[in-house]
Amino acid sequence: MRFRRFFHREDKDRDLAAEIQSHLAHEVDVNLAHGLSDPDARRQARLKFGNPLAVRERVWSYRSLPLAETIWRDLCYAWRSLCKAPGFTIVAVLVIALGIGVNTAVFSVVNTVLLQPLPYPDPQSLMRLVLFTPQRTLDGASVPEFNLWRQQTAVLLEVAGYDVGGAGMNLAGGDYPLQVQAVHVTHDYFTLFGAPVIAGRTFTAEEDRPHGGNVVVLSYSLWKQRFGGDFNIVGRTIRLDSTPYLVVGITGDSFITGNPVDLWIPYQFDLNTHDMAHYFGVAARLQPGITIEQANAQLKLASDQFRREMPNAIGRQNYYGVVPLKDWMIGDTRTPLLVLLGAVGLVLLIACANAANLLLARASGRKREFATRVALGAGRWQLLAESLLLSVSGGLLGLFLGYASVRLLLTVNVGGLPRLGEDGSAVALDMRVLLFTLSASVLTGILFGLAPAVTASRANLLASLNDSGSRTGTGFRGANFRSILVVTEIALALVLVIGSTLLIRTYIKLQAVDPGFDTHNTLTMAMSISGSRFQTSAPVAQIIRQGTERIRSIPGVAEAAAGNGLPLQGAFGMPFDIVGRPKGNAPFSGGAQYYSVSSSYFDALKIPLLRGRMFTDRDDASAFGVVIINEAMAKQYWPQGDPLRDRLQKAPGAGPPFAEPPRQIVGIVGNTRDGGLNRDPFPTMYIPLAQMPDGETALNSRVAPLWWIVRTKSGQHTPVTQVTSALREATGGLPVAHIRSMDEINHLVISRQRFNMLLMTVFGASGLLLAAVGIYGLMAFSVEQRTQELGIRMALGAQASELRNMILGQGMVLIGFGLVIGIGAAFWLTRFLASFLFGVEIRDPLAFVLMPLLLSAVAVAATWIPAVRATSVDPMTALRFE
Amino acid sequence: MAKNRPPDAGDILQGTLDLLILRTLILGPAHGHTIAHSIERTSENALEVEQGSLYPALHRLEDRGLVSSEWGVSDNNRRAKFYRLTAKGRKELEAATNRWRRMTRAIGLILGESNI
Repeated sequence: MRFRRFFHREDKDRDLAAEIQSHLAHEVDVNLAHGLSDPDARRQARLKFGNPLAVRERVWSYRSLPLAETIWRDLCYAWRSLCKAPGFTIVAVLVIALGIGVNTAVFSVVNTVLLQPLPYPDPQSLMRLVLFTPQRTLDGASVPEFNLWRQQTAVLLEVAGYDVGGAGMNLAGGDYPLQVQAVHVTHDYFTLFGAPVIAGRTFTAEEDRPHGGNVVVLSYSLWKQRFGGDFNIVGRTIRLDSTPYLVVGITGDSFITGNPVDLWIPYQFDLNTHDMAHYFGVAARLQPGITIEQANAQLKLASDQFRREMPNAIGRQNYYGVVPLKDWMIGDTRTPLLVLLGAVGLVLLIACANAANLLLARASGRKREFATRVALGAGRWQLLAESLLLSVSGGLLGLFLGYASVRLLLTVNVGGLPRLGEDGSAVALDMRVLLFTLSASVLTGILFGLAPAVTASRANLLASLNDSGSRTGTGFRGANFRSILVVTEIALALVLVIGSTLLIRTYIKLQAVDPGFDTHNTLTMAMSISGSRFQTSAPVAQIIRQGTERIRSIPGVAEAAAGNGLPLQGAFGMPFDIVGRPKGNAPFSGGAQYYSVSSSYFDALKIPLLRGRMFTDRDDASAFGVVIINEAMAKQYWPQGDPLRDRLQKAPGAGPPFAEPPRQIVGIVGNTRDGGLNRDPFPTMYIPLAQMPDGETALNSRVAPLWWIVRTKSGQHTPVTQVTSALREATGGLPVAHIRSMDEINHLVISRQRFNMLLMTVFGASGLLLAAVGIYGLMAFSVEQRTQELGIRMALGAQASELRNMILGQGMVLIGFGLVIGIGAAFWLTRFLASFLFGVEIRDPLAFVLMPLLLSAVAVAATWIPAVRATSVDPMTALRFE
Repeated sequence: MAKNRPPDAGDILQGTLDLLILRTLILGPAHGHTIAHSIERTSENALEVEQGSLYPALHRLEDRGLVSSEWGVSDNNRRAKFYRLTAKGRKELEAATNRWRRMTRAIGLILGESNI
């Protein structure tokens, strides 16, 4: 075995030495036999043999792996040398751990949201069906559209419709019914997403037809929690909304859905319907070998055909198509995440510069050591070994810090990011994160170790050895380079703090936005009314009347109301005609979102009335149809005229379920910011719930819960239990869920901005801290190195204040350079933040003036301490300073 | 770390030295000193090298399994390490000799010494 030569090298070397001795002895014998004198014989033998040590070295190096050995030796030496300077080592490792930590944290989120494939079979071929319009991409689907897409078998297979279970269902059993997330799906859903089934089966095609029977598939978590993990539940019936449903199967624990799901129910579409209401989404799989472009081309042809069959269904410039399901789920979170990744990259660069600076400072104090070692034949890459050791240890620490902090952060706030699971539970340290952190660490080590290593190894050996000591080397090459590093750090830190200031200002502005109603002292809750009892408007109006009365009688309650939606969360859209106004070529006068609400809705939310009147209890099914619009709608559609004189035809030509006579506009109320606080208010219609057409109520009950709003008197304890039991009594036992205050909802609406702001603030603060440490380190070191020079200056009569100002001035030059470069870079880079900002310019004067001032204050403070220390030294001590 | 030594005779005549050692050992086991002298004699001092450079070559041959070694007592009554050709070494010598002949013949042809 040839590898054997790498072992027992000491033994073999001793053996060789003995062999050489033997050889020389033989040669001496020969020489003596030739008549040479004893010393001569020995001399000749040695001459003829050559250098025994060189021979031994050659054999030794043949028995070694020179590169690996050198690296190992360098690492061992690096370890010993780092152990001897614990202060330096700890600071350097912490700096790198901070840099790597924030990067690991952000990358683990990026990895989960953007990089990981969907947890379904063949995820690349999963597509979401959409309607492309010139303005935007719409993802809702109606039954006729679903039927059209289902027929495109040339390009699509396993076309499945599903909703998000917003309406909920009431599951009987236990003390009270339980409101569950019931998702409606078509039968291909389970095949499409490869749902594992641990018991029973999923729906058959027959069960997904109209009158296919009441069947249900349970999720693993509901099965465990509500049914104690009993397999015998399959084949039995459970009561949902007071109707018996046959349990046909249970899905496995590993089935991950976008939103939590308790159970699935077949949609049972009537595919011949002309109902164009959009209330679900559709996903499908591309046929093998079909590209997205091919699918889109085919769907565009299908759109033209659909437009001929169903006039007015889609606009002339609109057409159907597909987008990858993953892209659809990621939505608009890609850019913010990449910007955050860029920001942590800056933090890492600052950390690198800092570590390089530390290493250089240390290296210049070790010139003689290096020179001695190089003179004795050591390699010149010692410093690189040290920096790699530092960066990998820092990276390891950073990995744990980053992972721990990302878990903590996501527990507080998932920032409206998709795919993260509950409290970010989907974020895990997988191979990709580990590889990322490892390569970031190694690259960091090379980046901050290369320059010091090159500089140190270039140093003139002889000059270094002859140097009087280790501390006088102001002429050391590193000095200029280190100044550049500090300038870079200041510039990068400035970019970060300006970015975080812009986001903090955005957040403050957003919080100051008036949502259009009073969010305080308001409790909201959802009641599922999807059962057969609530397929018409009258019983819904009745439970609202009874519930409202009971809640009002609870002490501490000021007002109660109900509606099919809450402000800030958004509502369904609906076209309308203004009676008597010419439409031109357009199919409708316009479109607006609508809420169906109880009469006290505006009082409960304190939405102000601007003109006309509010609803009263007399606006019921028997009265003349009325509608209230918001200010935005009045401004958009009646720029001059008076809306109170006009009548509205809601959903013209939308089919029998929506058919109703025109409504009189009776009032104008203030805007609520339903599309988010950073967007202009949408045109909105409010319709008395008691006046809704039955078909529309039935649809609403199927797709959304009834929302209750309870306003309490200020300072009062919120009577949650009394309210829920009052509602149970008033409605014959219906439970409520999603109990939240309006303040909480308001909080959630701006959670993404808060997430961005929080992270950027942390990064900005890290950058600032690192830059301060960096400039302090440089100035302190340069002062220390110049102690002797300063002593001479003082001995020659320089005043302490002059010296201090001199050192401060040198620091200020660096700071000034850094700030100028930083402002320039920020000027260019803030454009990438433009889409996150609200109420703040990307060149916000406050950020661009205040932050440089703040940074220079920090930097001056970091320079001041060494400057003062330098001048407080006794000149005699300074002169004798080695 | 690469050590930059000036190339020595051993490096240049590496393959040749190996061949000569193997050729010497075919006559029977011998220790380093004997091998060195034997090479000096048979090559008419044309290939004289520092005797020391023999040893790295010997150790390399031993690692390749072409020779084996053991300590013994020499004619001078001194301890010495004796090298012996292994079966593998014999085969290698044959192959190396052939290679050498082909090469010298080729060189001879080029130089016009067709009588080789």
